[in-house]
Amino acid sequence: MKKILIVDDDPNIRDYLVSLLEDNGYTTRTAIDVRDGLKIAKEYKPDLITLDLEMPGEWGPRFYRQLSQDNELKNTPVIVISGLSGNDYAISKAVATLSKPFDREELLNIIKENIV
Amino acid sequence: MFKKILFATSATEASDHAARVAFNMAGTLGATLNIFHVLGVPTRGFSQVVLDVKTKEEVAVDGEYISWVEEEIKNYYANQLANCANCSIKASVGVPHREILRQAREIEPDLIVLGGTTGSEEDSVYKASTGSTLQRVAKASPCPILAVNRPAASFWGGLSNIVFGTDFSKASDKAFEFAFKMATSLNGELHIFHALDITPKNMGMSMPQDEIDHKIREAYKMIRSKYISKMKDFKNYSMNVWEGIPYVEIVKYTREKQADLIIMAHNSRKLDADGPKIGSNMEQVIMRANCPVISVNR
Repeated sequence: MKKILIVDDDPNIRDYLVSLLEDNGYTTRTAIDVRDGLKIAKEYKPDLITLDLEMPGEWGPRFYRQLSQDNELKNTPVIVISGLSGNDYAISKAVATLSKPFDREELLNIIKENIV
Repeated sequence: MFKKILFATSATEASDHAARVAFNMAGTLGATLNIFHVLGVPTRGFSQVVLDVKTKEEVAVDGEYISWVEEEIKNYYANQLANCANCSIKASVGVPHREILRQAREIEPDLIVLGGTTGSEEDSVYKASTGSTLQRVAKASPCPILAVNRPAASFWGGLSNIVFGTDFSKASDKAFEFAFKMATSLNGELHIFHALDITPKNMGMSMPQDEIDHKIREAYKMIRSKYISKMKDFKNYSMNVWEGIPYVEIVKYTREKQADLIIMAHNSRKLDADGPKIGSNMEQVIMRANCPVISVNR
């Protein structure tokens, strides 16, 4: 089963994504901030990551920068899910950027296209 | 490092992304934020009327109107102000760049934050040049200015991964001192970058590759002797020299490094009076960068 890591500080979004993705045949793990996310990413080795931008402490782009410096994780596809305006500019190598509230079918299609 | 920030705003969408940077910087660095708005006079001479930013109509100016504008600004930034411990709002009447510089002399900020141009999208120069206020403030500012010209250049969670772009001028030495101080005080990373200009100049002849390689080696030597030698125990840095069109290379390099901030000097004294007042490379970097740009003048 393909593994997805969800990095978001909002518990409602995390719960929603977990049930949506597990109902569609993926296994998931969640992280509440950048530090937590990096730690889990290193041991869990996810096939895809969904990433919020604005979180307490470090923000999503910091997570991506550190991820891209890790040889094992640098090519993991990342989908940005955020409510910030102009969010599609934040991480240029993200496979997609969705604004909250997002369309579940759109997210599932993007995951299907990008998960290897 | 930044105790006092002057945020000059049009309080319109053009300043929204600069506002994100200004409020976040003030919050993270514990600085006071002075939000300053200028009610522009429509003519060069003495005038009793100003142009309302929103309606674009001429309005007779009096104390009541100024207080109303300050109230409007307060409402516009209500969300951000709720979390801003040390913010003040001031509106003033006059020619924007002159009033901003006057305010800067009065409160002596460590940094002036400016947004994009308020020129309309239909205006042909809208995306081709920075606003005249930004250029004029940058030229005469007593402190560094931070420009956020496009949504992509907004705040994305940090200011500690810094690109310092140098042309090895004296002004660049000052900018280096500033960039190094910022990198050390924020415990960040400093990327020292020089772009070797290889745009064909002499009758369209392009530079031979041997000469390019030689100049790149020379540039690395310069970086080592001018900057690296002054950084003592600071190890969190990298240096690169790329050849190309300078502003394009700086923007590309910043994207590659996923940097949060570009710091450059501008050599306003050498400039042609008809060209941009902050140098064409600086102007283009401000226009195109995907992070805030700090211009150091002196």
